[in-house]
This record gives sequence, structure tokens and C-alpha cells, in this order.
Amino acid sequence: MYRKILTAVNEHVNSEVAARYAKHLARITGARLLICSVREPGQPERSFDLAREAAKRIQHRARELDIEAETIFTGGRPLPAISAVVRSEGVDLAVVATRRKDVRRQFNARSLRSRSVLLRLPCAVALVHVVHLGRTHPSEILVPLKEHIKDIPSRAFFTAMTAKAFGAKVHLFHVMRPLRTFFQGEVHLRPLEEEGKLAPDLSRFINHLDGYHVEHERHLAPGVAGKSITIEAASRRRDLIIMGASERGIIDFLLRGNPMEYVLRETPCNLIILKTRD
Amino acid sequence: MKINEFTREEVFNNLVTSPAGLDSDEAKRRLAEFGPNAIRRTHRRPLALRFLEQFTHFLALLLWLAAGLAFLSEYLNPAEGMLTLGLAIIGVIVINAVFTFVQEYRAEKALEALKRMLPFRVTALRNNSELQIPAEEVVPGDVIRLSEGDKVPADIRLIEASGLRVNNSALTGESEPVGRRTDPVPGDPINSTNIAFAGTAVVSGSGTGVAYATGMRSEFGRIAQLTGSVSPGLSPLQKEIARVTRVVAAIAVVMGVVFFAGGHFTGRPFWQNFLFAVGIIVANVPEGLLPTVTLALAMGSQRMAKRNALIRTLTAVETLGSVTVICTDKTGTLTQNRMAVAKLWVDEELVEPSAPVGSETHRLLFTAAGLCNNARFVDGEYRGDPTETALLRASREALGGLDAKRFYEVPFDAERKMMSTMNALQHGTVVLAKGALERVLPLCTSIMDNGRSEPLSAERRDDITHAYHVLMDMGLRVLAFACRPVTGDAAADAAAEDIEHNLVFLGLMGLQDPPRPEVPAAIAKCRQAGVRIVMITGDATRTAVAIARQIGLATERPVAIDGQTFSLLNDRELKQKLGERELLFTRMTPKHKLRVVSMLKQQGEVVAVTGDGVNDAPALKRADIGIAMGLSGTDVAKEAADMVLLDDNFATIVNAMEEGRTVYENIKKFITYIFASNIPEIVPYLAYIIFRIPLPLTIMQILAVDLGTDMLPALALGSERPTPGVMQQPPRKPTDRLITLGLMARAYLFLGPIEALACMFGFFWVLRGGGWDWGRDISSLDPLYLQATTACLTAIIVTQIANVFACRSLRESIFTIGITNNRLVFLGISVEILLQLFIVYHPVGNAIFSTAPLPAGTWLVLAPFAVLLLAAEETRKYLLRRTSPA
Repeated sequence: MYRKILTAVNEHVNSEVAARYAKHLARITGARLLICSVREPGQPERSFDLAREAAKRIQHRARELDIEAETIFTGGRPLPAISAVVRSEGVDLAVVATRRKDVRRQFNARSLRSRSVLLRLPCAVALVHVVHLGRTHPSEILVPLKEHIKDIPSRAFFTAMTAKAFGAKVHLFHVMRPLRTFFQGEVHLRPLEEEGKLAPDLSRFINHLDGYHVEHERHLAPGVAGKSITIEAASRRRDLIIMGASERGIIDFLLRGNPMEYVLRETPCNLIILKTRD
Repeated sequence: MKINEFTREEVFNNLVTSPAGLDSDEAKRRLAEFGPNAIRRTHRRPLALRFLEQFTHFLALLLWLAAGLAFLSEYLNPAEGMLTLGLAIIGVIVINAVFTFVQEYRAEKALEALKRMLPFRVTALRNNSELQIPAEEVVPGDVIRLSEGDKVPADIRLIEASGLRVNNSALTGESEPVGRRTDPVPGDPINSTNIAFAGTAVVSGSGTGVAYATGMRSEFGRIAQLTGSVSPGLSPLQKEIARVTRVVAAIAVVMGVVFFAGGHFTGRPFWQNFLFAVGIIVANVPEGLLPTVTLALAMGSQRMAKRNALIRTLTAVETLGSVTVICTDKTGTLTQNRMAVAKLWVDEELVEPSAPVGSETHRLLFTAAGLCNNARFVDGEYRGDPTETALLRASREALGGLDAKRFYEVPFDAERKMMSTMNALQHGTVVLAKGALERVLPLCTSIMDNGRSEPLSAERRDDITHAYHVLMDMGLRVLAFACRPVTGDAAADAAAEDIEHNLVFLGLMGLQDPPRPEVPAAIAKCRQAGVRIVMITGDATRTAVAIARQIGLATERPVAIDGQTFSLLNDRELKQKLGERELLFTRMTPKHKLRVVSMLKQQGEVVAVTGDGVNDAPALKRADIGIAMGLSGTDVAKEAADMVLLDDNFATIVNAMEEGRTVYENIKKFITYIFASNIPEIVPYLAYIIFRIPLPLTIMQILAVDLGTDMLPALALGSERPTPGVMQQPPRKPTDRLITLGLMARAYLFLGPIEALACMFGFFWVLRGGGWDWGRDISSLDPLYLQATTACLTAIIVTQIANVFACRSLRESIFTIGITNNRLVFLGISVEILLQLFIVYHPVGNAIFSTAPLPAGTWLVLAPFAVLLLAAEETRKYLLRRTSPA
């Protein structure tokens, strides 16, 4: 499904860590790895040197793993430059690291680089938020799933390939809105009743995952999505979270917030936000 | 692969750093990307917003509505004193909001305690030179130097270590320092010996490592994140109050609408009907309920403090009463944490530790216990870990003080479960080893029998294992001892495997931590009360089972799950196991507790959990009742807990539960009391609208009852003593309601109507006595009218005095439970009477409540209604006892 995977590298260590995920995905899918570094106008020489060194390191290690890898150095503003490479090379997936300053601001509400990357790159995008350098080889992957999942085949494929690349176990996690009544308040559901409320999209996702023979386990929990996801990841020491890049409309966002925003800010482990292009 | 599995080179490559450390530009870049190395609060709504939320929950909204209606009524009908009513209701909202907010704010202090555990400055290698930098500036990839006395600033993968030992107690609760190494170790980083964790302390030696996780991403930060994020949810009482509020709101609104419609169809003007509906709604809303519940809980917490249970969150008082499962530590809580050697197995015999030291084996066994030991005897006192001090004491009592040079020590660590030392004894240098049998025995090749070293045959190994089981079945913690004479030079830097081989097995020592004497009775009480107890201990299964039998925790065949099995259970399997009646978790560490608590809560249990370490904090917060140890607990655990045991004693938890159940019973009593007075508040309005009589009771007078005269007697009911059967019934089910149909029927259909009869009688008695005729209008300022409404109010007060006694029990006669054994009732009644005298006879009271002085005769006329209420209630109770025995 992925023939060409692009990873963007700059002078920051998190871009190099993000590139490792791309490298392993390329290995497992047999894709060609394009390591792209963009020299921005006015960027100091030293800064670009660091990016170049990082790109070389990644290429070197990719070749050690028998991955067909190529470095592309280009210039201009990062997003248009990367977009151009994606178009000209026919890239299927771009793996890009976020910056902390992006995450600290309102990710959903403002026009930021990371969000622009998700929305504007003409390919699937895996936005990697690196927070933990000790867990870059995940063995436990948390995959939060909503009731309605877009692009199930693509998401399942990405999840399965990431898990296979690292020999990791997948923990599917669905946060259910607590059942409330006017007089009784929150109603406690027994596990069997919870199972009964499992959305059809979740079952479809699981079926796809089964097709790739990936070890997985299912967890259900009532609560508020963003908070429950970070608590689950922290309490069970998950190494990586893979989330879909669903966005909420502005009214929905103002009323209920966005779980992705919360997870981006509070994630205890590295996080990949996947935007598919089906 | 994880960071602990990497080689030194891989560590540098993976973290994109070098042995020379980061350069300052790269460190700056990483600081900008990964943020400061500090414990911070998880993202939450701003404080001001959370304070405002206290004004927008359902009861607050209901009260706002009532206040708004009061202001509207004041605007439409200025003479009725509705402005004061509206302001008073707002006062209730504000007091409740401030109180709840303060409680919530206090609960956040656990994070402050965590922040204090990180260091201020650390030694880092930057640009190949050692620098002292603020700990907040440590970034992933920084090379950090550690030496004795340092606090570890971040999670660090060690690359150099020289005799490095760290105390992980802040993280794992284990007080024994553990050795650190540098070679790659498989498995989870949390159990790895090549990692030093943020917040822990270097006890001895020195080392160098690379920081790989800082701030909130470190293990310590993970605990802080969980402590700050997990919430126990609403307490059972809060849920019930929310439900009651909704029920009452529904009743109030339905009644308001029905009588508004009734008034409309009987031809009354719109605004008169509207005011009437407002009156009905205000009379129904129990304004005094929240403050009374709050004060009753505060009084409950004071009583608990007297019984060594310090309550930190008020709702915990009642939640304790509905606890269905207690997850408790063993050491120090069920037992006294006073270790003593109770039995020895030496020369193939079980002997008492006080038995004379006969053989060389016996002597060497005590020598190993005394020298392979880091406890100290200083100034007549034993200092050190309880297990080690017990061994040292036994050794000193048998052999006297031992003094032998120690060349080397392979420290104890939780993974190896053994330690060794190399000492110079009179007859040469000897390796002495002690530890868990499963670690020591495989390293032995011979056994010492009456001073002679003999080959360790399979048969002898079986004998040793059998003796080990026998000792464990006695509830003893068992340690194995071995030795080996050293031939040649004592290598000072030998590795563990270099000295721990070809050992000579010496014997076993069984240590006893006696159960607390109060515990068996407390456990029996829990059984009667239908509360399950789950023991969570670091001990081996057989020891834990034996202790559980001694204290009555295990009577049948308990299910024991050890830490390793626990980690392999998936959620579904664990949930099944958690349903077992007698359940023990053995060889567990505090990190497992959160999962146990979360799973139990998911199964609908109300969970209390004990804890003392930093690592316990998330579980303490997640539980319905987190219980920290006052004597041995860390500040973090205490801040995260709802209750602190001042004596670390399990029996105190059970006492507190008894108080909690009593508080719940008492809340039911005063709700009956408060609700009963709603009927004489509503009936005058009904009579006013239906029979077109002057309004017998003004809204201010209703408020005088709800927020004034009723308060102290209700509180007195909140301090009733536990009834004998309170711990002989199962915990309250989540489906059991605070307000039941029976309670409503008793308050609204039995007690209330008698009071309503009294108040209407008082009203008409005064009116008729003053010459009023049926159907004649009377001014609201007419002294006769003022006296009549005062009589109506006084009738409520008089009958409520009798009602206090009636509500002291549901079934038992007041003469059985004793009239005088709750002195607060008399204090409450005295204050109630004084308040009423102020309202009736003081000009200020008259002005505020639109009342007028009453002649003494009116009081006398009303008194028989109090007697009637008591007599009726005694008859009801008698019939109840007859028809439905307890």
C-alpha cells in the first residue's frame, strides 16, 4: 500500500526520531524511503548542517536495514517545498514531526504549520509528536478508536504495519460516553452490557487488523475521551499512541473541546496522528 | 528494544548524544522542544472557571431559580419580604460553592508534594565540561553525573557506575537501597537495574548516565500525571444528593404548575397564581439540606479523628460507610511491622532462635545473619530495615556483637532477591549470602551439617524445600543463608557471579511480623458487614496465605495471585478473579494497585485502598477512599488520600467505616425531619388558594424554619450514635436510595400532616379568638393576622421539637434508645426555642419575619399536637416492630 514514504528532517532531534518510525515502516512495507530536508530562507548554515547530518544518519541506518533510501535536499518554505516533493515523487505517506510550540497553542483553532501539514500535503500524513526518547521502539501501542471511524482500511493498515515493524502489541481503546438519566445520574454498565454497545465500525477495524495477523486486545472505558486516553497510556505504560486526525467543527470544539488537542498536550508517550487520503 | 536493552553505544545513538554531552545550542533546542524538566499540573480548566462551575450545578441552578422567582415576587408584591428570601438563598449558594471549591482545591496539593522531591541543581556534562545546571534545564540526551547524596533529576540510563546504590522508596515503596549496573538488561525499564529514576536518591557510590525522559515524561512525572488526572468521580452521597435534588425539583415544579393551573381554573388572577406557584416551589426546595449534610459530615469527621482516622475530604465520611471492598497492604497495617526471628531450620532441625548455639553450622548461620546485614546497633538501638534489624538482633542475642572487616558487598536488589558480603572472620575470609531460597539454593553445591560440609544431593534439596514450605505455612517470611570460604585474594571489585557460587547451604530463618491484636476482630466485623478484604503484599504466596489464615482473612481456600501472574492476566481474566470471595495478591509492587482499584471500580464496587509510597498516589486518588498511613506514609500519599490513619492500623479503617455507616443512617434521619416540615409549609398555601383564606404562613417564615430553627436539631440527629446492628448488615447497594418511598411516606404522609394540622389549627385558633369570620379579608399588617401567622409558625416549631425525638430512630421506641443519651438534641431544641422566642417576642424578629408576640395560652394550645405526633409515631413503630421484625 505504501510504495514511497517521505520523512522530513530538520535540525531538531524529534524530526530524527520521527524518521525512525518512517524507516521501520518502509522496512516492513518494502517502500522506498525519501529523507527530505528543506533549507528555509535565512536559515543559519550550522542549523542546516545539523539537518544534513541527521539525514545522513538516517540514510545510513536505513541502508543497514536494506531499505532503499534517498536523501532530498531542497530549499524554500517547508510546506510548499515538501508538497512539491510529494507530488513529483508520488509519495504515499509523509512522516513529519510536530514542534512543541505548535502543540502548546490551540492546534485546532489556528493556522499552524503542523495542522497545515496534515491538511495540505497531498498524501497520507503521519504527524509524530515525540515526547519520550526512551520509548522509540514501541512494544505496546495504544490505538484509541471513536464510534465512527473514517478510512478504516487505511488506518488499520498503518496500525498493523507499525505494530509489525516493531513487533508490538496493539491495544484498541474505545472511550464510551457514560450513560446518564435525569433521575439516576450516571448508569453503571456491566462488562457484558458494555460489549453490547460496541460500535460496528470498531468491529470492522478489528476485522481488518485480524487480516494482518497482528496481536491485539480491546479495552473499553467510560469517561471523557482525551483524558481517558492519556490516563490509559500513562497507567499501562504504553509506548506509542496512534490516533486518527479527526477534527471537530468550531461549535463542537467550543462546546466539547477536542480530544486530540488534549492528547497532544498531555500524552505521556510518543503520539502519531494519522491523516489518511482515501 | 527499550532503552535498558541498549548497549552503551546504542544509548548514545538512540538519544543522539555523545559521551561528551550535548553542546549548549543543542541543549537549548531540546529544552524548547521537550520543555523544562519539572512536574507541572496537567491541563485543566482555569481555577476561576472551576469556581464558577460550583454555581452552575443542578442544585445551584434550582436555588438560582428560586432566588430569581423571589426577586420577581418582590418586584410584583414588595411587602412580602421576598427580597430577603432571595438574598438568603443566594447566600446558601455562595456558602456551598466556596466550601466545595475549597475541598477540591485542597485535593490538588498532592502535586505540590511531588514537586518538592526533585533536586534544584545537578551536574551535567555539556561541551565535554562538567557544569552545575538547574535541574529544570536537564533535557533528554544530557549526560548527568551522580554521586552520593544526590537526588536523581530525570530518568537516566546509566553508562558508568561505581558501587552505585539508589533508594527507590519514593517510587516503589521499597526502603532497601538497590545496586545499579550499566550492562544491558532485558525487560521493562521500570524493573531494570541500569536505570536511575527521577526523584530517587543516590545512597552510595557514583555514576554517569544519559537522561532519556524528563519532567512529566519521567516515571515520576507519570505518577504526577496520574495523580493529577485520575478522579474518583462523585461520591455515593454526592450522587444521592444530586438525585434527591432532581426528585425534589420535579415535585416542586409539578406542584407549582398543578396549583398554578388550579388557581387559573378557579378564577384567580394570573399574578396571584404566579406568586402562589413561587411559594409552593420555594417551600418545597430544601434550602437547608446541603448545609446540614455538610455540617453532619464535618461532625462525623471529628468523631473519626478521635478514633485515629483523619478525614481529608468530607464526602469520604459517608463513602466509608458504603465501601464494599478494602484493598489493604499487609506489613504495618494488618501486622505490626515489628519483625522478629521466630524459627530456625539448621542441621535439619527446626529450632527456636533462643535455643543454645550448639554446632558450627548454627554459629555460622547467626554469623551470616549478623554480618551479611546493613542494619546497625547504635546507642543501644537497632537502626535499619525491619527485616535486617530483626536478623541483627537475633544474631547479637545468640553470639553477642560481631566485628569483622567487610571487603565487599553485592547489594540486595528486588530482582536478585539476595545479597552477599565478603568478610574477614577468625579462620579466614568468607563469602556470606542471604536471600530468597529460590535464589540462594541454586548457587549452593553443598550443605553444612553439624559443622561438616556435605554434598547437596537432590534428596537434601527436597528436605530444604520442605522445611521452607513448613516455615512459610507458619506465616513466616523465610530467608536462606549460605557461605563459602575464600581461597586466595579477596577481589575488591568482584562481580556478583564471581563470589556467589559453590556456596555451602547453612540453614533457614523464619521471620515473624506479628499481626496487630485488633485485626482479627476488625476482619470479623468486616465479614459481618459484608465487606470484602483484598490483601496486597510483597510477601511470597505461602507466607501471605498463612498470615491471612492467622488473622481470619482466609477461612476457606483463598485465591492467591502473584505479581508475575497478575501482569499476564488480561482485563477480562482479572475481572473474573476479582469476584473471588477470598483473594490475595502476593509478590506485588505498588504499581499494580491502580489496575486492581480501577477494575474493582469498573465492576461497581466501592473501593477503599491503603498506601504509603509515592507510587501509591494514583491508586489512592482513583479509589473511592484512599487511605494513607500517617506514621509510615510519604507526604505525597497523604496528600493524595481521602483519609489518613494516624496509627497505621487496619482496625481504624473498620471503626471509620462504622462511623461512615452511622453518618448515612443519620442523614436519613434528618432528611425525614427536614422533609416532614415541608408539609406544614405547603398546606397553608394550598388552603390559601383553595379556600380563599388569608395566607397562614409567609415565605420568610418558611425560611425561618428551613434555614433557622430546623438546622441545629437536624445536626443533632446527625450526631446520633451507631445503632448496634449497623455493622451487621451488608454495605449499601449503589441502587439503594437515600430517599425511599418509605421515607417519603413517613415524612409527607404521616409526620407532615400532623404538623400541618397543628399549624392550621394554631392559625385559625388565633384568628377566631380575635373575632375573624370565615370569608372576611384581613390586611397583612393587621396585628391579628400577624399573630395568627406567628401561631402557625410556632405550631411547626412545637411539633418539630417532638419530631426530633420521633426521627431519632426508624423502628425503635424513643424509650428504648434513651431519651437523654444525645445531649446535642437538647442543645438543638434549646437553640430552636430561643430562636423562636426571638422571632415571636423581639421587635427585630417581628420586623424581619412579620410576626407578633403570642400570649402564653397559645403555646399551651399547641403543645398537645407535639404529644399527638410522638404518640402516633410510637404507635407506628410498635406496629412496624410487630409486623416486620428486624
